[in-house]
Amino acid sequence: MDFIIEGIQKAFQLIFSLDREIFNIALLSLKVSLTAVGLASLLGVFLGFLMAMKDYWGKRFSLALVNTLLALPTVVIGLIVYSLISRRGPLGVFGLLYTPSAMIIGQFILATPIVIALTHSAVQGIDKRVRDTALTLGATEMQSAWMVIKEAHYAILAAIIAAFGRVIAEVGAAIMLGGNIKGSTRVMTTAIALETTKGEFGFAIALGVILLLIAFSINILLHYFQSKKL
Amino acid sequence: MDKSIIRVKNLQKIYNNRIILDVDHLDFQESKIYAIVGPNGSGKTTLLKILNLLEKPDTGQIFFQGQELTNKSRPEVLKIRRKMTLIDQNSFLFHSTVYDNITYGLKVRSVPTKDQRDKVKHALKMVGLSGFEDRRANQLSGGEAKRVVIARGLVIEPEVFFLDEPTVSIDQRHQDVLERIIRDISDEIRTTVILTTHDLSQAYRLADEVVSLLEGRIIKKVPENLFRGVIEEKNGVKYFKVFGNIKFTIAIVSDKVGPAYISIDSKDIILSYEQFQSSARNTFSGKIIKIIEQNHLVKLEVDVGIFLVTTITRESFQKMNLNLGRKVYLTFKASVVEVY
Repeated sequence: MDFIIEGIQKAFQLIFSLDREIFNIALLSLKVSLTAVGLASLLGVFLGFLMAMKDYWGKRFSLALVNTLLALPTVVIGLIVYSLISRRGPLGVFGLLYTPSAMIIGQFILATPIVIALTHSAVQGIDKRVRDTALTLGATEMQSAWMVIKEAHYAILAAIIAAFGRVIAEVGAAIMLGGNIKGSTRVMTTAIALETTKGEFGFAIALGVILLLIAFSINILLHYFQSKKL
Repeated sequence: MDKSIIRVKNLQKIYNNRIILDVDHLDFQESKIYAIVGPNGSGKTTLLKILNLLEKPDTGQIFFQGQELTNKSRPEVLKIRRKMTLIDQNSFLFHSTVYDNITYGLKVRSVPTKDQRDKVKHALKMVGLSGFEDRRANQLSGGEAKRVVIARGLVIEPEVFFLDEPTVSIDQRHQDVLERIIRDISDEIRTTVILTTHDLSQAYRLADEVVSLLEGRIIKKVPENLFRGVIEEKNGVKYFKVFGNIKFTIAIVSDKVGPAYISIDSKDIILSYEQFQSSARNTFSGKIIKIIEQNHLVKLEVDVGIFLVTTITRESFQKMNLNLGRKVYLTFKASVVEVY
């Protein structure tokens, strides 16, 4: 029992003393996940919007595909990306394996279906009259599309935040593609996994607390935006 | 001299293999008010959307100020579309302030921001909502929301203003306000107004010209007492059963059998206190539910199972001492019933 209490004490010491290593790890986590989600949002909002507004051949299939990808295990993403970017893989020449970029690719693949699926349902929930009204007031197709996104912006923000919550907490792809290299690709989740097996509970708990705090703030934000959904 | 603003020729719109609109020729003149009347499903809304260039007809030509639009490029069509606006029956306000709503049409037209405030102010004044700029759209009453919607259309100073059933589902007080606003639009900014309504008396109050649409076609005479139903034959005599009140049958003269429309000119319906012997085969009793005065004539709406309107002179009205709720008899000949 004592090791847990000691671990917690150590953790708060580390946090309140603003331990350099801990904060570097947290910072890298944020950097990787924010970049991945940022890129995923650019593609995901666009695709989610199109899937909601346009009728096209294979619409049902693409929706089913996106929903399946929501359940994609992170280790499978790790496996696929690994095989592509490892030295012997088709993208091996870029030397991406065990770099933050590799983790960003993995998390991007994880986040994109979430952003697509949630944007799709957000845009679908928007009154059809938004687009029609914009058109009657002289909007072009692009301008009317932008108006629909504006009307859905709280729900779309909620989609992006949900995707961020998923990627910041994932460990499978980060460890397989980043390799948990100290000072280079060690992020919060991979560090927690390592330190726990090493018996360094204080360090692990400190990171766990920070991760929880981030998750908590994300949920507060998510809640805020969802309640704003008019 | 009158100038044509929109003209259509041989217009057809087909939906699910059915012709829902079939207009040979229709001409709208500048700065007049037009009312398109007809029952639900007669193609009024579709016609408005085609005239507003939001929907494409399957065949036919549309001319705007003499220019033929069929083969115009998209930017050219957009340019003309931006000279018009349409107010939907079920109109919608964006989830923001009244100000943001009204400036939308200005923003998409890249009107400089500094000019926007004055234009919004003027538009709100025209609809009698000065000072409403900062209200949230979702805090407005139904009537106020409709007026903001009209201000949002007005602010772009359209050459043609389309209104689809502008006063439907709005209380009487706001209906009067809206009708006045529509007249003001026509008088003050000389905009051509084309509105649809299923309320004939509103059409006559507001419009310079009334266009009557039935099953997608324009009919010459504007029908009163228009009903949809089905013609049946019994012992060699034709009867019309009214949809919505199947038990109600009207004796008619026609070669047709099956689904049809009928109309009865309100001047052909005789009103009396007592039932009387005559050659007329249609006599119904009911209570007076509405009295509308129109110059020398008085229109009375009577609930006989369906709502029938009869027109009598002001003299008869006074002599008969009629009032609301009074039980009366309506009589008309089978031969005055028009069948479509």
